Amino acid sequence: MRSPFAYTPKFGPLQSASPAAAVAYLGSLTVVAFLYSNPVVLLATGAALVLAGRLAGAWRAVRAALWMGLTLALLIVAVNALVVDRGETVLVRIGHLPLLSDVITAEALAAGAVIGLRAAVVMLAFAVYSACVDPDRVLRALRPLARRSALTATLVSRLVPVAAADAARLRDAARLRGPAAAPVGRAPLARRLLAGSLDRAVDVAATLELRGYSLVPPPPKPRVATHIPRYAWQMRFDRGGNRGRNGVRWRARSRSRYDRRFYAVGAVVMIAAVVGKLAGADAFAEYPAVEVGTGPVTVALSAVLILSGLAPRTPPIRTASNSLPARGGI
Amino acid sequence: MQFGTETRVEPAPALAIESLTYAYPDTGAPALRDVSLELATGELVLLAGRSACGKSTLLRAACGLVPHFHGGEIDGHVEVAGIDALASGPSELAAAVGYVAQDPETQVVSTTVAAEIELPLEMRGDPPDARALAVEEVALALAIPHLLGRAVDTLSGGELQRVALAAALVTRPKLVLLDEPTSQLDPVAGDELIWLLRRLNEEWGVTILLAEHRLERCLAAADRVVALDAGGVGFDGPPREFLNWAQERDAALETPAARLFSLAGIEPLPVGVRDARQTLRGLGVDRPPHPASRRVIDSHPTEPALTTKALWVELDAGEGPRDVLRGVDLEIRRGEQVALMGRNGAGKSTLLKTAAGLIEPVRGKVEVSAGIALLTQNPSDYLVRERVGDELLGEAGMAALHIVGLENAVDADPRDLSGGERQRLALAIALAGRIDGDQLPGLVALDEPTRGMDRARKDELAELIEGLGSRGAGVLVATHDVEFAAAFAERVVLLGEGVVIADGPAAEILSGGWYFATEVARVLDLPGVVTPEQGAAVLREGGR
Repeated sequence: MRSPFAYTPKFGPLQSASPAAAVAYLGSLTVVAFLYSNPVVLLATGAALVLAGRLAGAWRAVRAALWMGLTLALLIVAVNALVVDRGETVLVRIGHLPLLSDVITAEALAAGAVIGLRAAVVMLAFAVYSACVDPDRVLRALRPLARRSALTATLVSRLVPVAAADAARLRDAARLRGPAAAPVGRAPLARRLLAGSLDRAVDVAATLELRGYSLVPPPPKPRVATHIPRYAWQMRFDRGGNRGRNGVRWRARSRSRYDRRFYAVGAVVMIAAVVGKLAGADAFAEYPAVEVGTGPVTVALSAVLILSGLAPRTPPIRTASNSLPARGGI
Repeated sequence: MQFGTETRVEPAPALAIESLTYAYPDTGAPALRDVSLELATGELVLLAGRSACGKSTLLRAACGLVPHFHGGEIDGHVEVAGIDALASGPSELAAAVGYVAQDPETQVVSTTVAAEIELPLEMRGDPPDARALAVEEVALALAIPHLLGRAVDTLSGGELQRVALAAALVTRPKLVLLDEPTSQLDPVAGDELIWLLRRLNEEWGVTILLAEHRLERCLAAADRVVALDAGGVGFDGPPREFLNWAQERDAALETPAARLFSLAGIEPLPVGVRDARQTLRGLGVDRPPHPASRRVIDSHPTEPALTTKALWVELDAGEGPRDVLRGVDLEIRRGEQVALMGRNGAGKSTLLKTAAGLIEPVRGKVEVSAGIALLTQNPSDYLVRERVGDELLGEAGMAALHIVGLENAVDADPRDLSGGERQRLALAIALAGRIDGDQLPGLVALDEPTRGMDRARKDELAELIEGLGSRGAGVLVATHDVEFAAAFAERVVLLGEGVVIADGPAAEILSGGWYFATEVARVLDLPGVVTPEQGAAVLREGGR
């Protein structure tokens, strides 16, 4: 079974956008999560990411991230409550225990909840990124900057899902062993998985060799315009392409018509976040008593953030039937 | 002006190998011995031979992986399209040679199909425009433009094989090497791939060297056959002469149609179904007589080993839940030997895993009355220790080893066993503790056990299956190999899109169609006649 976080190619705006535009958009929401402690703003950021993931068709990734993020958040709340003794509102007195607080306070619970919420929002952002941004395009963008690092990233990005599939197969085989076969503990299984991963890595390395990865790339060739017949495949490049000499059309660089939308939304989010921060939208205090700012600036910023979640929305398709008046008939 | 007076420069052969001897590191015996071979541009050459005879090593030497990647000791000369392969590495040869490994899953490095195909061009430094054109062309040639936007881990085996082939062809190499490309494909996809290779060979002029065990599938498409024997070239010549050589020297390399003619005493031996039919027509045997007696299922008045009733199984491979099994009703009785067949993705493995309790059905019932031992597709997954004896405990473990005939290999390292022995050891591990005296578990299930096996090893496996059946186990084998199914099965269950579309005697099912029919059945087109022995008996009865 595929990981819910695995990239799934789709024709949605977020998937079509260039990696830089997608990172600008999702990154701006992640920055908000780190910049703000006000739970209202954090919840709005989370809602924006859930909405974005839903509209981008990454609902499985969002659900998995919510499940993992909320579990992590609960853990953080519990740990924070047990180790921090600040706060005025004492809920439980647990007595003296080494390393632990004597009391559990509502403020420590709230502070833990904010940290947990922030972690969950960041996980949501990474889940949507992972499911919607093509890693091959990211690696291609990085390759001219750091060739060796890109190779390592290629190997890792390929081997992680393969190792997961291998582990699932080995677990199945372990369950299928007869009762008189030696039991397979975690150590032999891990050893076998490691050996298998090394074999896989060797295979991938051999493939990269065969694809010419160790060659020093030649300098970019100058474009030579030649007359080539116009096949159907060319049509899809025509709209975004530019016309060269002799009527030859060249494919446009991998830029999407949605790029500007994501850059713009990312910029709006960042500007709103900075202005909101300066205007006091981040009013929140955990100790000594919990105070959450819900002023108009906070509400306005939250509204902007939630609306930013609509960015991956696919525009309705305009067809002849709905753009032209009906000409009679049935 | 005179034409034809200029000196013509002969192009370099696509592959020239001279006196090549090679041994892998830390091994005594060389894998290749004094191999000399030359492939002219535009040839489609079939590389035949038994398991471990050196076919894969020869292909790796031709693409530079041997010795540059694997190490070892090498002597001789290898030249690919005029490039010295021993002096240059695989990367330098990448523009001249494409290589497709047996398991395409080990050969994909990108996330999406388009990126995977584009990678070699990107490595070469081609501009984006040229890359887009080349990717589109090769996708059209291989009929996979609809896959370009897909993630590679959502593809079926056949689709992945085509993508790996596209990545090998996209640089327009002079030579393409393929290592058992049909081993994981169903008969339909296997046939499609072979004829696709022939078309590329004819239209693009690309030289193809194809290593295969299922010779009946590709012999008719080949210009020439090279047979390796213990690391050396045993035969090099046209397909028809190869069949004569195989008849005398190694019957395991005979095709079923050739064996049919050989047993019936008909000459010349046919290289394919069409050739066989023409020869029979020439001899006046246009329509052999219908056999009087046909192979029928032995009745098994035994208890059921596996019963499924209205079984529905749903799986999610990342693109939403999908019904993989849809209301399957099936009963396998103890002692029955059943082949479970169908296209890639028909639900064969899912059915076996559901019977073994690895997958929960969403609806319906599955009952395994007296236990099940399942051997999955990769036997190595069962082997986790460094000594055979450590894998199995006590007397029950030794009893399982005895059943599979490995009682003398207790102290061996599983990694030192041959492929067939490893498979039998994995089966012993699955059986261990499920044997009561002489009584085996009710059902022994094997999933695609013949991948990469030559016919001799398949015959051994068929014998083992017969042994298990005679001891009272129902044996259910999921396989794409119609010839193997004809050799061991008395009943065939054919799955299509998760539904049982045919269930009956093997002789009837394997002679009743085209893709899921043996080569003999396709030649004779007689109901119930599927093996060379049966076909030869019919031809002899008819007096030719």
